[in-house]
Amino acid sequence: MSGGQALDLFFNIGFPIALLVFAYLIGSLIERRHFASIRKRESALRGFPVTTFERLPAQWRVSNAGLVSGSIVVSLDYFKRVIAGLRAIVGGRVKTYEPLLERARREALLRMAENARRDGYDAVVNVRLETSRLANAAGNGNGTAGVEMLAFGTAVKLDRR
Amino acid sequence: MKYVPREPRDGINVSKTHPLVEAGTLVAGLSLIFALVVLALVFMVELALLLVSPEAEARVFQDWKPGDLVAVDADDQRLAGVDALTQRLARHWPESPYRFRVAIDDSELPNAMAFPGGLIIVTTGLLNRVESENELAFVLGHEIGHFRNRDHLRMLGRGVLLSLSLSALGQGSGSGLGLTIADFTLRGFSRQQEADADEFGLALVYAEYGHVGEASRFFERITDEYGGDHGFYEYAATHPSPEDRINDIRELGRQHGWSDSGPLAPLEW
Repeated sequence: MSGGQALDLFFNIGFPIALLVFAYLIGSLIERRHFASIRKRESALRGFPVTTFERLPAQWRVSNAGLVSGSIVVSLDYFKRVIAGLRAIVGGRVKTYEPLLERARREALLRMAENARRDGYDAVVNVRLETSRLANAAGNGNGTAGVEMLAFGTAVKLDRR
Repeated sequence: MKYVPREPRDGINVSKTHPLVEAGTLVAGLSLIFALVVLALVFMVELALLLVSPEAEARVFQDWKPGDLVAVDADDQRLAGVDALTQRLARHWPESPYRFRVAIDDSELPNAMAFPGGLIIVTTGLLNRVESENELAFVLGHEIGHFRNRDHLRMLGRGVLLSLSLSALGQGSGSGLGLTIADFTLRGFSRQQEADADEFGLALVYAEYGHVGEASRFFERITDEYGGDHGFYEYAATHPSPEDRINDIRELGRQHGWSDSGPLAPLEW
């Protein structure tokens, strides 16, 4: 194989593969660390009720209430994008996206709960989750820059008298 | 009602499959499917070639020219020269159903191509680089060889079907993978076609001149000029690398016992 062919091979096959490997290594490192942080903070918030009730339980005496929210914007790494692109040909569970969205949901809920606790509330009720896609400004708008996961609810301060 | 604190559980919303296993399964499975699709396309094109006789093809395409051809002036000396040489070579293939036509495309990349209906297009870049008639005769003979094996239709048919099936995949990683697999699958077929065309071309050169001297000279010069096939990608991608090809051509001449030296004919322009 001549030098020219080697160069062509590198640019056509080697470079995308190198990018895939890089994206996979960095992406999974970030994912592992994020999950570790999520578990740690969830454990710290244990005992802080976050519920989807629309009505308060009758015995709760609420002295103060307010809107709290937490949101996160996440994007794909190149590896996930490529594998999901291949998955889209045959269909089925897009397994590489699942941990990404799981992280987004739990992180948004955590941020909301952490906000509520910092502001002195005792619980969050009527919690809702919303997802919206961010259009890719650089492209033709068809691509996705990422998704925003928003958690919001009514924070309540309980009167303990 | 009692509130029982509980942490969210891991692994309910996330599949257990390792991402690399998922990637490997998809790449291997889809590669296999693409390779089978490409083989099916090759088979369909072969089937279509059986249905279209060379005579019918020559009739339908007798005046056809590609739309993006940048033709040289009709009174260009080289046009008459290349045409005359093509007709002389074609005489050694008397049963040819084609009436060969020649056109010169004004572009710098040295190349020659066979098109439906017996049309051979050579580029000015090629004509600027050949120094004897024998060199040019082998290039033209090679293209005539493609007509004999009907490779020109084969490549055209495969190209059309392939781009149709790739466009069905749309943009993105799917069509990228498909293109790579198609390239690797078709490469073997393409190499064999080029080798067959080289053999027929060399036989025409021998029949015309009584020796095959300088037949591979054009490829040697290309190799010198471009230093291997770097920068020569378009041509080298579908053809064997020039170095291998020169050796194959010499070996072919030896096998047939064709002398590799003799008087050279000058170019007639």
